[in-house]
Amino acid sequence: MTDELSLVFSALADPTRRAILERLAHGEATVNQLAEPFAMTQQAISKHLKVLERARLISRARSAQARPCALEAVRLDPAADWIARHRRVWADRHDRLEQHLATLREGATP
Amino acid sequence: MSELTYRRVHHAPPELLFDCMTQPEHLAHFWGPAGTHTPIDNIVVDLRPGGAFRTTMVNDADGSTYTMRAVYVEIRRPELLVWVEADVEGGMRTTITFVDLGDGRTEVVTHQTNVPEAYLSAAARAGFATSLDRFDAYLATIHKGA
Repeated sequence: MTDELSLVFSALADPTRRAILERLAHGEATVNQLAEPFAMTQQAISKHLKVLERARLISRARSAQARPCALEAVRLDPAADWIARHRRVWADRHDRLEQHLATLREGATP
Repeated sequence: MSELTYRRVHHAPPELLFDCMTQPEHLAHFWGPAGTHTPIDNIVVDLRPGGAFRTTMVNDADGSTYTMRAVYVEIRRPELLVWVEADVEGGMRTTITFVDLGDGRTEVVTHQTNVPEAYLSAAARAGFATSLDRFDAYLATIHKGA
């Protein structure tokens, strides 16, 4: 679980963290603002933020007291690319299988 | 989240599709994705739980090769085939279900997970339950919002 893609996928595996990302898609927010809709303690939210930060799906301001969180949408691209790549491989494979089956059918009925 | 599902319907009985997925003489015709081919001599099928499933795909353009190393986990002809690729992106498990549609057609459902063992508990799996389509929709939302 140390490679980049695994970090992104495991960060995305939690519904609360996905909800946090959706919230951040609308703009930066502080831990206080993020904790509000979730009926969770700030501590619990902070744990989720650490996971998101480790996967670099969010960035947090270093200087400001409130340290607002921002979404790093570009970090989702490798995850989406991985999915697209694997889908393509299986789509091609089934296209070829279809052709192969057609050849078998032709052979069966001369 | 790291689950993928592919569904395809083929005009063939499940027995034939199962054989296509497990016999080198069939696999050689379709296994490699576009731009590659997989010669029959490059395919190892030891069809039993714990048995090897290896394919070496050859790139048509430059002759470079890519070997897939998997181990069969479960085999139930003609309805189920499961293998695991231990060294791919954190260990990918592929489950292929052959569903007889009863009209000469078979739906082939390929379900893949690369979830590490630690995540395979029932509680953790619930977090991974979101389907690919929902993930796509989610990504679209994020990109639009960003």
